[in-house]
Amino acid sequence: MSEPALRTAHLTKHYGRVPALDDLNLEVGAGQVFGFLGPNGAGKSTTIRLLLGLARPTAGRAWIFGVDAADVARAHRSVAYVPADVALWPQLTGAEILELLARTGPGTDRAYQRELADRFALDRTKPARAYSTGNRQKVALVAAFATRAPLLVLDEPTSGLDPLMEREFRHAVGQARDRGQTVFLSSHQLAEVEAVCDRIGILRAGRLVEVATVAGLRRLHRADVTVTYTGPAPDLAAVPGVDNVETTGKGQLRFALTGPPGPVLNLLAAADVSTLAIREPSLEEIFLDYYGEATR
Amino acid sequence: MSTETLRAGAATGTPALNSRPGRALTRLAARQIRRGAVIVVAVAAGMSALVATTFDSVLADAATAGALDALAANPAIRTLFGEPVALDDPGGFTVWRTGTVVAVIVGVWCILATTRITRGEEDAGRWDVLLAGRTPLPAVLARHLGVLFAVPVLTGTAITVALVLAGTHPAGAVVHGAGIAVLGLFCIDAAALTAQVFAARPGATGAAMALLGVGLLARMVGDGVTALGWLRWTSPFGLLELTRPYAQNRLLPLLVLAAAAAALLVAARMAAGRRDVGGGLVTSTSGRPPRLRLLGSVETFAVRRALRPVAGWATAVAAYFLLIGLIAESLTGFLGDNPAFADLAAQAGFAALNTTEGYTATLFALLAIPVGVFAAVRLAEFAALETNRRLTLLAAQPVPRNRLLGAEITATAGGAVALATVAGFATWLGVTITGGGLGPAAALAGTWNVLPIAALCLGAAVLALGCAPRATGAIGALPAAGGFLLQTIGQSIGAPAWVIDLSPFAHLAPVPLAEANWSATLAMAGLAVALTVVGGYGYRRRDLRG
Repeated sequence: MSEPALRTAHLTKHYGRVPALDDLNLEVGAGQVFGFLGPNGAGKSTTIRLLLGLARPTAGRAWIFGVDAADVARAHRSVAYVPADVALWPQLTGAEILELLARTGPGTDRAYQRELADRFALDRTKPARAYSTGNRQKVALVAAFATRAPLLVLDEPTSGLDPLMEREFRHAVGQARDRGQTVFLSSHQLAEVEAVCDRIGILRAGRLVEVATVAGLRRLHRADVTVTYTGPAPDLAAVPGVDNVETTGKGQLRFALTGPPGPVLNLLAAADVSTLAIREPSLEEIFLDYYGEATR
Repeated sequence: MSTETLRAGAATGTPALNSRPGRALTRLAARQIRRGAVIVVAVAAGMSALVATTFDSVLADAATAGALDALAANPAIRTLFGEPVALDDPGGFTVWRTGTVVAVIVGVWCILATTRITRGEEDAGRWDVLLAGRTPLPAVLARHLGVLFAVPVLTGTAITVALVLAGTHPAGAVVHGAGIAVLGLFCIDAAALTAQVFAARPGATGAAMALLGVGLLARMVGDGVTALGWLRWTSPFGLLELTRPYAQNRLLPLLVLAAAAAALLVAARMAAGRRDVGGGLVTSTSGRPPRLRLLGSVETFAVRRALRPVAGWATAVAAYFLLIGLIAESLTGFLGDNPAFADLAAQAGFAALNTTEGYTATLFALLAIPVGVFAAVRLAEFAALETNRRLTLLAAQPVPRNRLLGAEITATAGGAVALATVAGFATWLGVTITGGGLGPAAALAGTWNVLPIAALCLGAAVLALGCAPRATGAIGALPAAGGFLLQTIGQSIGAPAWVIDLSPFAHLAPVPLAEANWSATLAMAGLAVALTVVGGYGYRRRDLRG
């Protein structure tokens, strides 16, 4: 399918004079698992509300598989959604809510729905009033993953889940990807995003500051390099991309490296390197880098 | 030492622990009810003052002592309007004419406000943060009730002041004002108790309303059937009547009502200390087999959600109109024998009460209020689904917003028609049991005749949903409740015709006494459709809240 699963053009939302989202241009290809990151208030939920037609953009447009997001009857035939804060009808049981969402939704695989409910250990006989936050989230997750909608929009779907259930969640995302479903995942659980996402967008103060693969993000960011050597001490100060060189002991060096490592490795060769460790930055460090820039 | 230090700290502006968290709670509660409270106080005092000041001696002149006795002795009159005492006195007449209406307005508001700011807030999860603070649940409840108590007390005081200023006897004014105040307190305490017993606001509101409704029916039956006169001692409305303001000014019934209110308060306080936050005394957290009926589409789901409220409203409406039917023969017979009162009733806006058709037509007009308010309440509930985010999952389904709204409108309209139908059959049944002559077709024609007003309420509510969703309930109830008050007060004080004509009730033909006013019916229906279309357009265009 050549049509992107999700596309926005100059998508903008103001609440009164406060800009919540500013000129968002984003394209998520079909079949991708896309991570959507940003600090609280960056505009992630606003973006999702606009994509789902729950809120109207101040300017710009959004398309879901080429269908205008404002045309919810058509656009939502390709979407399943898990909101950040799941509220259910308190008097309906889990089974009744799953039935309602399956019957009104974009088509559900009932057998897979039962399998998911078992995997997420969801007690479907209880009325929603008796559910904890995590259990309410499970109902929405089971309903969404069981649809055959080609796009899953998940807004902080695991904030209330325990580690076991989070593992099930990652498994379910993997299965969705294998079936060719696109997943748009907004999350603060960076380890989870790192584990499941192909591409990542970082939003800050209503603006998109980066879109890249996880590996691509890493390339743009500093790796932590530790070297021990037996030869003469190398002078790394002049090498492009090297920063914060410190001597941590006799014949031991530590520095930060941005960009390709070739020039540094050439220089280090002369120093008779005995060990070399390169630690790539975690997504958390990358995220904090972006977030830090905003507060500085 | 600690409090002194804290206060000193607060005084010098150092950040210190707020030593009076209760005050913040009081302010929180007051913010949530102040607007409604002002309206209730103004309407209650205003109605009393208007009727008292415009009372002229017509009634006193026409009603000789013998005729007054006859009026007081007629069970139907007593059932409908309460026991007439001191009608020759402006104050006594005011109490008879407005007492029940004011008591119902104050009582209903007290119940709705109490469950809204206690169980409603807790149900929505907004009390979780509050209750994680230093103030325990019973204390938070007590603070909210304290603020609520001020409203009926202020209302009673305002009524007393209004009646004294209107020149009525102060003793009667005090007893009547105190009666309304204590009735309000009783309703707040009852709602506070049901809000502890039931874990959801609709259940709490329904139970307290049922209690109030049963109280009203007990008063009506106790007034109508001499042998059951003691029933009035079991009803807040009955006790209010037994104080006999401007006649005997009895205090004992007032004390009984106050004692009952106190007992309810104690029970609510104990229940609050015994239950979990977010739970009730009655909780059903255990599982049950799924009931999959009516879950197939948003339309059937709207019907499913409406079924229970419709059943509750229908029970109340059926009980009331069955009673109306049962007393029809007695009342029309009495007015036929006493033409002086029939004339008086006609002057007061109750025309042709001496025939079954005229009598039922007059009372069917009242049906517009519960049916219209029902429509407004259902749409207000729909508006609340946005803020409590229950609508989010449905709105994310491949269902356009107008279909969601259309489903709600259809289910609500169906409920309104059901209520009117139930009222018609109940009246017909009552009249038939007592041997009167009113066919089911005539009864249904009469009750369906008020549906255009309910449609106006529905249209106004949809308009509000599209443009001012927080005011959906208030604006939706305006055509019925506001229109009725406008007509009643307007007629009582002889307001110009164009003012009264603003009320939809002014254009309601007395069916089955007369033919339906088809042009007015069509005009109202057309206006309702226009309001719905504009509201639907606004709803489709705006952001969902939440």
